[in-house]
Amino acid sequence: MSTATVDDLTAVAEVRKFWTRDRKAGLVFTVLGVVAMGWFGALAPAETARFTLSEDASGAALEINGQLGAVLFGAIAAAAGVGLLTGAARRWLGQLMGLGIVCFVLSFLCWQVAGKFMPLVDTAAGSLELALPLILGAMAGVLCERSGVVNVAIEGQFLMGAFGAALVGTLAANAWFGLLGALVGGLIIAALLAVLSIRYLVDQVVAGIVLNLLALGLTGFLYERLMQTDAAKYNEPPQLPTWRIPGLAEIPVLGPVVFDTNPLVYLALALVVIIHFGLSRTRWGLRTRAVGEHPTAADTVGIRVLGTRWRNVLVAGLVAGAGGAYFTEVATGSFNKNMTSGAGFIALAALIFGRWTPVGAFGAALFFGFANKLATYLSATGSSVPSQFLNMLPYVATIIAVAGLVGRVRAPAADGKPYVKG
Amino acid sequence: MRPVRGMRIVAALAVGGLALSAAACGDAPDENNNAGGGGAKPASKYTACMVTDIGGIDDKSFNASAWAGIQEAAKEQTNIDPKYVASSSEQDYEPNLNQFVNQKCNFILAVGGLMADATKKVALAHPDQQFGIVDSVIPEASNVFPMQFDTAQAAFLAGYLAAGYSKTGKVATYGGLPIPPVTIFMDGFADGVAYYNQQKGKNVQVLGWDKAKQNGSFAQSFTEQAKGKAISDTFVAQGADVIMPVAGGTGLGTAAAAQQSGGKYSVIWVDQDGCNSAAQYCSTFLSTVVKNIKDAVKEAVVKGAKGEKLDASAGFIGTLANNGVSLAPFHEFDSKVPAELKSELDQVKQDIISGKIKVTSPAQPK
Repeated sequence: MSTATVDDLTAVAEVRKFWTRDRKAGLVFTVLGVVAMGWFGALAPAETARFTLSEDASGAALEINGQLGAVLFGAIAAAAGVGLLTGAARRWLGQLMGLGIVCFVLSFLCWQVAGKFMPLVDTAAGSLELALPLILGAMAGVLCERSGVVNVAIEGQFLMGAFGAALVGTLAANAWFGLLGALVGGLIIAALLAVLSIRYLVDQVVAGIVLNLLALGLTGFLYERLMQTDAAKYNEPPQLPTWRIPGLAEIPVLGPVVFDTNPLVYLALALVVIIHFGLSRTRWGLRTRAVGEHPTAADTVGIRVLGTRWRNVLVAGLVAGAGGAYFTEVATGSFNKNMTSGAGFIALAALIFGRWTPVGAFGAALFFGFANKLATYLSATGSSVPSQFLNMLPYVATIIAVAGLVGRVRAPAADGKPYVKG
Repeated sequence: MRPVRGMRIVAALAVGGLALSAAACGDAPDENNNAGGGGAKPASKYTACMVTDIGGIDDKSFNASAWAGIQEAAKEQTNIDPKYVASSSEQDYEPNLNQFVNQKCNFILAVGGLMADATKKVALAHPDQQFGIVDSVIPEASNVFPMQFDTAQAAFLAGYLAAGYSKTGKVATYGGLPIPPVTIFMDGFADGVAYYNQQKGKNVQVLGWDKAKQNGSFAQSFTEQAKGKAISDTFVAQGADVIMPVAGGTGLGTAAAAQQSGGKYSVIWVDQDGCNSAAQYCSTFLSTVVKNIKDAVKEAVVKGAKGEKLDASAGFIGTLANNGVSLAPFHEFDSKVPAELKSELDQVKQDIISGKIKVTSPAQPK
């Protein structure tokens, strides 16, 4: 009797354990892969899909029959899913999930590009450019939130940065002074956020929202009353130059995208690496994380909690301000009311999607950028998918990813909690 | 104490931000100073009151042109007293219209099709009040004078021009949102290209709009310039060398990118002649599909001030024939557009006016 009971218990425990995270992910990918094989494969015309290695239709290209590609990549995605589902390959969870996502997207692309061409350099460069403000915004978020200050004011910092870059850049007729103006703009909002949330212990989300309102009102007012009156004098900032790194820029596809571009891209990529290693390998990183997870303990061992938070919030303001410069000194040549259109909130989403880590947030931002660029590409080439659905694509993908793939998301323990000594 | 003081600061900042944004779209300080004191001697005065759309008075587009029309009317007929109020959100339309009803304006102008519902409601509640609306028609209310524009006709010319000017054989267009005042441009543009192909036996492609399916590229925004640039980059990568953005401020991203590209592609602007409204990008504008809101509004207001009746059932429909819509001059491209193409455009224009060519769009004013 007693042995039987024990057996039953273990059986029950095993059933409960069967749907582990990798099995769930495996099921998702199996379904996606089969859908890709059946649906995309059936719809795809049997014409050649060309992926050119240049900015337009010219030059060498990777070619594949659209129907064959859709079925083939769908099958690989399904195989990755089955591998996870059977538990045979749970050791390679991350790699297989990556393979599954990439193959699903490739299957979709083979269907859509069949009979047309997709310029890879333009696609990659466009994705990176759309992701650029999100990367910088998400890095600002990482700096703030890992030290325990919620940064909802990224949007406001972007706006002030964009405005500062346009105004100072035009007045000084120099793009670098414009960038300086952007940094100051971001810093102003960050300093206000720090005063309110650290000095006056205001609810940080409320403070962030209010600062966004302030930035929107202030820049809108100055735009209408100052910039509008004489655009040539106040609102025609020079553009940041393009830096080409000799040698590296010759690499096919990657070269022209990453090594022949504007300085903000280099800054963003450098920041991801610096913050990643800084957080995990330096004294500053250890202290930041301590302050963000357990400020009382950090204080007990002699770390200046408030000082650390102040410093991080201000540096985050500089980073987000540089992100603001993207809007007026890279993407376009003038400031416009509310021109950031919610990019700060998408950056915040990328931060959460990336589980508050610099590399994760970077990946999430790139993903948003790619989804956006893809939607643009598909609607431009007259895809059969309705444009409303395509514009939804980035957000749908986010919901699926956050719900199913990221697993449990955990914010820094003291995120959003003001610290009072004693 | 500290959190309390903190909340005070927060409240001050919030109020400051809201006040500034309200101030930004509020009444212009100098233009209507006489409006307040004007109530005392209403007999000779004709107050023309305008409610702007959410774009504000300085949108470089239809609000700005409507206001310019009222101001020109005031210059012509000195008894006209112009004033306006800006709507900062869609909730403001109705209160703003009612406010002008209470101030006993002689003529209340609602700018933009988005205001149709609010205008209908207020107009039916005040049947003796004269209203006017731009870009919409309210058949139920005989006291609302509609001013509409068959922009498809001018966009047809733009499509023909783009197809004739393109070296790559690909032209493109995209919109801000899939709404009739936007898609009417895209329909006309696509038809113009198709007509060129038919006449010349060519195969110029239109990217970004499929008239039959009414489906195409949209930025989902009238402000996001970065999105406009991203869409244009994609078009250019696909081989387009003429792009027509119908997306307000978003389109400025296309103009800026065209300027940076150093003449790789050119832009066809919409609403107001780009070389006046966005002069810094004049070197990129091949031409503009002009919607002459200014003259339509001016005419209506002057007519009203003279005491003539504004017939709502006839309304005003801007066409190529009455110059309500037109193709702007080529400005810096004047020497680059072949004379032959210019004369063909004149011929197409005459054919549209005479009815030989029928331009159709589901979004056309009926």
